[in-house]
Amino acid sequence: MLTKLAIRNVKRQIGNYLIYFFTVSLTVALMFAVNNVIFSEALLQKAEIFRELKSGLIGISVFVALIVAFVLGYATSFMLKLRKREFGTYLTLGMTRKNILSIFVLETMILCAAALLAGMLFGLFVYQGLMLVISNLMEMEFAFAAYSVKGLVLTVVLVCGVFGLASVTSALYLKRVSIYQLIHGDKVVDKQVKHPVLWFEIVIISFAAILCSCLVFYKTTEKMFTQGGGSGGMLFGSLAVLAGALVFFHIGLARSAVYLLLKSERFCSRGTNTFTLRQLSGKLRSNAVMAGALAFLIAFAVILANVSFVQKVSEESTLDQTYPFDINIVSDATQPAPVSEEQADKIIRSFVPIEEKMHYAVYTTKTAYLYSFTRWTGDGYEGLEDSIMAQSDINRLYRALGRDPVQLDGGFKILCNVPQVTSFDFSKAKLEIGGKTYAYTGIADDMPYITYDYFIAVVPDEAAQHLSLQSNGVAYTLKNQKFDAQALHDALSYPYTTSDGAYTYDRCDYHIREYGRMQRNSNTAVFVTGALYVSIVFVFLAMAILALKTLSGLSDDRRQYSILFRLGAGEREQSKTLFWQTFSFFFLPFALPILLSIPTGMICAQIMRMAGLSMTGTVYLNTGLIALCLIAVYLLYFTATYLLAKKTVVRSTL
Amino acid sequence: MNNMILQVENVTKYYGSGSVVTKALDGISFSVQKGEFTAIMGASGSGKSTLLNVISTIDRISAGKILVEGHSVADMKEDALSAFRRDKLGFIFQEYNLLDTLTVGENIVLPLNLRRIDAAKTKAELQRVAQTLGVADQLQKFPYELSGGQRQRAACARAIIVNPALVLADEPTGALDSKNSKILMQTFSLMNRQLGSTILMVTHDAMVGSFAQRVLFLKDGQIFGEVVRGDRDRQTMYNEILSVMAGLGGDTGEENLPQTAFEQNNGVAGGGDAGC
Repeated sequence: MLTKLAIRNVKRQIGNYLIYFFTVSLTVALMFAVNNVIFSEALLQKAEIFRELKSGLIGISVFVALIVAFVLGYATSFMLKLRKREFGTYLTLGMTRKNILSIFVLETMILCAAALLAGMLFGLFVYQGLMLVISNLMEMEFAFAAYSVKGLVLTVVLVCGVFGLASVTSALYLKRVSIYQLIHGDKVVDKQVKHPVLWFEIVIISFAAILCSCLVFYKTTEKMFTQGGGSGGMLFGSLAVLAGALVFFHIGLARSAVYLLLKSERFCSRGTNTFTLRQLSGKLRSNAVMAGALAFLIAFAVILANVSFVQKVSEESTLDQTYPFDINIVSDATQPAPVSEEQADKIIRSFVPIEEKMHYAVYTTKTAYLYSFTRWTGDGYEGLEDSIMAQSDINRLYRALGRDPVQLDGGFKILCNVPQVTSFDFSKAKLEIGGKTYAYTGIADDMPYITYDYFIAVVPDEAAQHLSLQSNGVAYTLKNQKFDAQALHDALSYPYTTSDGAYTYDRCDYHIREYGRMQRNSNTAVFVTGALYVSIVFVFLAMAILALKTLSGLSDDRRQYSILFRLGAGEREQSKTLFWQTFSFFFLPFALPILLSIPTGMICAQIMRMAGLSMTGTVYLNTGLIALCLIAVYLLYFTATYLLAKKTVVRSTL
Repeated sequence: MNNMILQVENVTKYYGSGSVVTKALDGISFSVQKGEFTAIMGASGSGKSTLLNVISTIDRISAGKILVEGHSVADMKEDALSAFRRDKLGFIFQEYNLLDTLTVGENIVLPLNLRRIDAAKTKAELQRVAQTLGVADQLQKFPYELSGGQRQRAACARAIIVNPALVLADEPTGALDSKNSKILMQTFSLMNRQLGSTILMVTHDAMVGSFAQRVLFLKDGQIFGEVVRGDRDRQTMYNEILSVMAGLGGDTGEENLPQTAFEQNNGVAGGGDAGC
């Protein structure tokens, strides 16, 4: 009998469950797609990083499932409250709480099975779409991706876990709630707020704290890039302040804005303004913490999505600097190379013809004189030696790269590849080589990665002759044709045992640009996929909570709007009132995260600038696109909720 | 004819469709004069509430005509009906129907807000009505902080603040005890006599009905009879209502008619209300 009742209830409640079902199915589809990506044989074979990050990605999937479980638990309790009168009636008819719980759990199971089925069916397509995106990011040819049994099992386990946890929340509610509360509802009554002005001050302070956290985040990243200082603790601290400030901002706003507006007699005497404000005040006050938490979820999604795109853009932009030549090796001049140059040439030629080879030398003064002008000096930095290159060597490499030659003006110049080196003062540095003194003539931070050093000094050739050879470098230019970079990398690798003898692994001293590009593409694919997955799920869940929260209050709203109707508020006036009520409730946790897109975009662009990258326009474009996507999701949920609410609440003549 | 507020002409209302049709109102005709206090009585299912719903334009009639101040409500479009309810009608319901999220003061001025009356005038009107109906001390409170009687008085204040052509009351004492019912009826009398409100009230309680100047009795969707108070006192009216209701076979409400506080204060003997 209970099963029959549960099935009938699900059929009858399908309208109410629509948004819930849609969100859960979408989340299941994403989970299914990501879990299949994690276990994709094609990716595991082609990209080492997927093997390395597999457990991390599973961790993300479980973390997302936990968040989903928490949110669905919250959402399920709304669904329960939506039907509390019905359950109250069951209790008065003599059903036990166990019976009711069985009905609800059965309904949830039906819904879970339906969402799992629909989600996985949709997930079949989402997975192929995701594989298409990943293949593009990794420049792999897209082929129909096989589905993974492990991915399927993980999805089923996670979804069942999510619904299990959500059912526990409902069970706890049903166990506690009284019949009176079920039938008459929790009489949430609005009370006069104490100290609205004080709460408004808290809003202003919280807003200031939000701005400060953005500023601290920005300054810390700036410091990290320019001076190498700035701790991760400061970054996490600023994020924690942001989270706290967002929560207090929303609590304060809920307790002040409406009451301050209610003080305006002129505003309140117009139409249904007072009604709208009062409707909002109760909702906002009881959901202020939730609004703050949702705002943080959305803000987190905005930040994560932006950072993932910055990572992608920066990986693309830094490739030329990190891998200036097709293949490059810098080997210790004092030790024989594990793979000799002759052997390497033979191996490389077996994959792709070599067009040009350039040899260059890196010298040392056997002192750390130049390091004494940096922060890498003193205790802990023993053993460092200044690296020096001859002007002719560096200019030969620069010419090959199409760069302007380095001019020394009779002195020496510093070249570096980390921007923070430019913050050190070398102006008083003088190199004494071969009886001559070479003064410092300037610094450039665009040195390509041709040595292992953060910075080198470039001296005239006659000075270099007096220095000791530190390492030899070879830069290869290859014929422009496709080759298997992974196989070349493997062929140039040799077994390397760590100095303490603990580990042995395959190591390759040759920096193969194509291999590096593939690795970066894989990194980007993993990072972008993970970040977007978390962001999309967070945004959809946040919107679903707002929608369900609105819908769960419809029975109360219906009664209130019915009174408005009788008092002469026509369909249009009621619709307008409901629109502003729903819009304001939806907009509150959404407004600030969207506004936070602006500082987020600025910080990302600044990070790019500080990293010496010029693609800030792309960053702003990405930020704009992310904001637009968020607005689209917001409009989708808001419109669906408003239309459902309007259908239920707004009354016209029978 | 100029004093005619409401004219109900041969009104019929059917519910349902096909073979399952219920005739809730069966060719009802009556009229209400300006300043009149009329009650409609009848047993459950007699069509009282349906009649009130069609007059208040929240339900449509199947046939006939309803004119309020000479305007046919059946011909009005949706927006015009809303404006009509807002401008011409005042409502008092059994369950008070105060918005529990609004303060008492905000509830009372809501009809003025819907009319977009300016803030200063709204404030003045609120003071006037609240003073008259004795709810001036309750304006800052929320409905849950008031007793049933106080809530219903607040609902009365909301109903009359726009000076409507017609106040419609649907079982206004249905949720009140006998003491508060009498106090509310005194308020109705006050609204009727001092503020000139025209009231059409649906009730099944003979004591409540005895406060009206005229009582129409409904049975099976038709007007079964009518009692007009005229110069008679309330006790006589009450007895007559009881006898009509006995003829109808319906609920007669109270057996005795004790003297109300209002009547005691105004020196009316025998529980009657000679003033009406």
